[in-house]
Amino acid sequence: MANLLWLQGGACSGNTMSFLNAEEPSACDLVTDFGINVLWHPSLGLELGENLQKMLKALTAGTLALDIFVFEGTVVNAPNGTGEWNRFAGRPMRDWVRDLCKVANFVVAVGDCATWGGIPATAPNPSESEGLQFLKRGHGGFLGKDFKSKAGLPVINIPGCPAHPDWITQIVVAVATGRGGDLTLDEFQRPKTFFTSFTQTGCTRNMHFAYKVSATEFGQRKGCLFYDLGCRGPMTHSPCNRILWNRQSSKTRAGMPCMGCTEPEFPFFDLAPGTVFKTQTVMGVPKDMPSGVDKTGYIKLTAAAKAASPRWAEEDIFVV
Amino acid sequence: MANETNDENVAGQIRSLLAGGLKTEVFPRADDQDSVAEILGRLREAGGDISAGLVIAGFTLQPVEHGGIEQACETCMYYLVHRRFCELPELAVPVEPQWSCRLWRI
Repeated sequence: MANLLWLQGGACSGNTMSFLNAEEPSACDLVTDFGINVLWHPSLGLELGENLQKMLKALTAGTLALDIFVFEGTVVNAPNGTGEWNRFAGRPMRDWVRDLCKVANFVVAVGDCATWGGIPATAPNPSESEGLQFLKRGHGGFLGKDFKSKAGLPVINIPGCPAHPDWITQIVVAVATGRGGDLTLDEFQRPKTFFTSFTQTGCTRNMHFAYKVSATEFGQRKGCLFYDLGCRGPMTHSPCNRILWNRQSSKTRAGMPCMGCTEPEFPFFDLAPGTVFKTQTVMGVPKDMPSGVDKTGYIKLTAAAKAASPRWAEEDIFVV
Repeated sequence: MANETNDENVAGQIRSLLAGGLKTEVFPRADDQDSVAEILGRLREAGGDISAGLVIAGFTLQPVEHGGIEQACETCMYYLVHRRFCELPELAVPVEPQWSCRLWRI
């Protein structure tokens, strides 16, 4: 039996909604099949008021074991580093977070806000938000870059806005069943099993990417969304086109550009007007290239691919 | 077929206008997102007026070299190779591979 506690900081509850929709395994499977004891969760917990405080104190005192601490949302430090804007169970949430992270075997940050600050930490960041161990790309965050949980791992980051439900439950199960040591993390402490390939991997528009045919409107089934509509699929690490959403679709499959929400810089360009859903260019060349591609190579490849493109690439080949 | 004939007619009309000395705004090129947005806004205001569209978009009958890159329609992201057509919604006109405009993007 592994005790799991889930708390929310500066959050919209999007990751909770995502988690509750998990299918493989489901939130119920965590309890019935994998022996996870959900001590408390903002949408599922029964304890209120003093009872909840008692439980949290027992956890921080070490009289109740905390195997997995899941945190959703940013650590709110405002005003002036006090955290008073986000109070919970009688004290600033940031104080609970610091104390709980000291006693937890594993700490899991779920969603962009908990991992690197996400939208709340976008300039000017009025809530003085930060992620547990990152602030955007900067290593450190609330807990500091040297933090390790009792099991010896840094915070396990499962980013996304929201994170896919199955990424959450599969990592929680891995940790709860003693396979936490098998997890390999990338430089941003994301499990490599999910965040090594790109959103573009498995995208149904890859043919159009290859032949440089652009989609020019949302929802168009023909064309690649990277060239004009700001899709970040070629430079975003996520399995969104391998582990599908609702088991059947993804943003790009539905004709909407990937916004790069599993990367630390999300939301990109600080949401400046004209930067969302529009590929940013410098003298006609994309500002952000597909990962690993340089400008010269990109221009040469594009010219050659366009010249070689077949007629069907310009037509809508999806007849249903 | 009707589409192709119409495309040919419009392409011929564009060729005549440009060869006849229509002064278009070749420079400044749309080097950043602000200038792209500004030009697109003017194109929307111009509606379907081909002549106004050519002027605003800075059409030429030859490629324009800018920043060391030859900006020809044939390498532009909006160009449909087989239909010889510019698919940018604000333009949507038949074009030739060697033509150019300042909204070029790759």
